[in-house]
Amino acid sequence: MNYIQLEKLGEGTYATVYKGRSRATNEIVALKEIHLDPEEGTPSTAIREISLMKELNHPNILHLYDVIHTENKLVLVFEYCDQDLKRYMDTHGVRGALDPATVRSFMYQLLRGTAYCHDNRVLHRDLKPQNLLINRKGELKIGDFGLARAYGVPVNTYSNEVVTLWYRAPDVLMGSRNYDAAIDIWSCGCIMAEMITGMPLFRGRDNPDQLLAIMKIIGTPEDRVIKKMAQETPDIQFKSYPRFPKVPWPNILPGASAQACDLIDRLLQFDPTSRPHALDALFHPYFTDPTAHHPNSSSVPQPVPVGVMPAPVFHVLPNGQSVYMPQPSNAPGTRAAAPQPYQYAAMNDPSMARHPAYPEQGHHAAFGGQPMHHAPQYAQVPTYGYGQHVHPQSHLQQAQPQQQQQPQHPVYPVAGYPQYPGR
Amino acid sequence: MAIQHPLLYPLASAAQISQTPSRADGVPDWLEEDLRAEGCRLIQSAGILLGTPQVVMATAQVLFQRFWYVTSMREFSILEVAMGALYLASKLEEHIARMRDIINTFDLLLSRLRYTLSHPSMPLDGFQYTPMSYYSDEYYAYKDELIIGEMQLLKRLAFNVQVQLPYNTMVNYLNVLGLGRIEDIAQMAWSFLNDALQTPVYAVYPFPTIACASIHLAARQARVVLPEPPEHEPWWELFDTDFEDIEQVCVWVLRLYSKQDEKEREEVFRLLLGGRKEVKKWLEDNSAKNDVAMEHLNQH
Ligand SMILES: Nc1ncnc2c1ncn2[C@@H]1O[C@H](COP(=O)(O)OP(=O)(O)OP(=O)(O)O)[C@@H](O)[C@H]1O
Ligand SMILES: [Mg+2]
Repeated sequence: MNYIQLEKLGEGTYATVYKGRSRATNEIVALKEIHLDPEEGTPSTAIREISLMKELNHPNILHLYDVIHTENKLVLVFEYCDQDLKRYMDTHGVRGALDPATVRSFMYQLLRGTAYCHDNRVLHRDLKPQNLLINRKGELKIGDFGLARAYGVPVNTYSNEVVTLWYRAPDVLMGSRNYDAAIDIWSCGCIMAEMITGMPLFRGRDNPDQLLAIMKIIGTPEDRVIKKMAQETPDIQFKSYPRFPKVPWPNILPGASAQACDLIDRLLQFDPTSRPHALDALFHPYFTDPTAHHPNSSSVPQPVPVGVMPAPVFHVLPNGQSVYMPQPSNAPGTRAAAPQPYQYAAMNDPSMARHPAYPEQGHHAAFGGQPMHHAPQYAQVPTYGYGQHVHPQSHLQQAQPQQQQQPQHPVYPVAGYPQYPGR
Repeated sequence: MAIQHPLLYPLASAAQISQTPSRADGVPDWLEEDLRAEGCRLIQSAGILLGTPQVVMATAQVLFQRFWYVTSMREFSILEVAMGALYLASKLEEHIARMRDIINTFDLLLSRLRYTLSHPSMPLDGFQYTPMSYYSDEYYAYKDELIIGEMQLLKRLAFNVQVQLPYNTMVNYLNVLGLGRIEDIAQMAWSFLNDALQTPVYAVYPFPTIACASIHLAARQARVVLPEPPEHEPWWELFDTDFEDIEQVCVWVLRLYSKQDEKEREEVFRLLLGGRKEVKKWLEDNSAKNDVAMEHLNQH
């Protein structure tokens, strides 16, 4: 192997992660070793992780450099990070709680990486502190795409066994199988609260208990909300739950700013369609308001200007930790500001216009009949070049009359093909 | 706006399409095309017997088709790649099939095929199937093939195993065209999408093109006229597709319905059952035949 294996960094359910050094460049990397079981073949977690991560390229997503495939194991070569967020909180926090500037920086990076995933139609489905990695520069990288999947069309039904219990969204807890990006947003909200207090926010023992733990804090939603969710999601059954009042966020997150509480409240909406898209959340005043009060950090830099995706900039905190911060506007290399100011207030309105800078963001967009862009192709597709097959005209002319003589669909489909579900 | 996977949509390259590895090894076009199609039917039939959802069978067929753009049929057997593709697709689509069930199902299908080939005039009623013992060499050989098939698919496709199917896109397009409520057309376009899985188009064209081709075929069949030049803006431009590409997809699909020569069909089945060894032998025999023919030609 081209890497020297050094000490063990961590262990997950299906892999062991080691520190490694490249023989060629001396670069330090993380080696994730996955054993191939002769009874099961390649684990589906590894298949997902590699097939999705190899296509993702973003400063807040752990970079997959290489894959080494041998008879009995797979080794994934990742960029090296010092710690996962869990351990970072244990070592840098005060009883696990991080200072507000760090929380804000990590949240910004988490949402930015999540927005990138969702923009590329990838659901992570397992966001939690252990799966977020922090490097020495204070950069946060989303890792462990073992449960991730591409999501296209909402008709698909997905596995219900996703997301570690404490970070699992209520709609999934209630049985939803056609969830979307909103399940990752829920996890982001849980992680934010955990960074502020140092403790996981909802700690249920099992599925029903987790749902109760959620309701005890954010309050039992009105029957109207649950009915609506049951209507939109065939897997969710309407049920009456014990009534709990909503606990005010400042009681749960003592010391957190009003804007931090407001963002958490929006991320942790019971109804998935009320949760913001990750990209929208990045424009929340918590990140953008220049007058925002950020306790303990007089040195917070310029807020993110509207319409600009900042390039990474590092800011040294009082404790010597450098932290990634939103970059001020008009620095070279940043995008020009969008012409119209963005209306954050409209965020939960389903008919809301997308952010002008990101017209391609269209999670729930209705089919507008606009011309679409072609997917950039893996490889160039030729116009013609089939050797003997290249006679479209002659083939069509030969084949079509024969087609039209038959009133019904011809020989195929073979019996047993599923039917168009429209009837 | 239609839903797209900007990043996760691999297609075969120009070079891979104009010269597939099998063709480079001397496998003629017609044989490669037929073996691909039979392999896909095998996957589909196995999936039906196993009761897997259609997305799994469809994904498996797309992976199977992709594989033959990077590998020759002289190197790998249809059977191992078909089994590997179905297993892999069941993992990707979160309906994991048991390895043992896949093996038994393929074995049943192949035994039945063997029976029909050796009893051309007899009905299938006389056919009897006894499952293999899990400790037999035969079973182990199957298991090896399945594992190798899955691993080689991953390795040779460099983990480009994400598949976007056009079914929902097609239904959306029909709605845009105002045809969504005409069930005959929807059903027919849906069936064309199913059938197209037996051709290489899913590995070659973007899924909106395939969706449009199925609509084009269904509309022709139902004698519905879609907006076309010169009177109208062409309907396919609404979906940013190219008519020449749509026609190419239609050609591939329509070729499925042309009558196959019985002799040729039997040959294809024999090669399917015999795997890569039989393909190798066939290539040697045929190149020998070609040599004789060439010599004959040179002498005159
Ligand atoms: N690039 C990295 N740099 C440093 N440490 C890492 C890196 N990747 C992973 N680790 C450590 O290894 C642990 C396990 O990694 P990972 O979550 O990828 O494995 P897993 O088997 O998928 O885990 P899970 O049990 O969540 O499925 C992480 O929690 C982290 O502590
Ligand atoms: Mg993990």
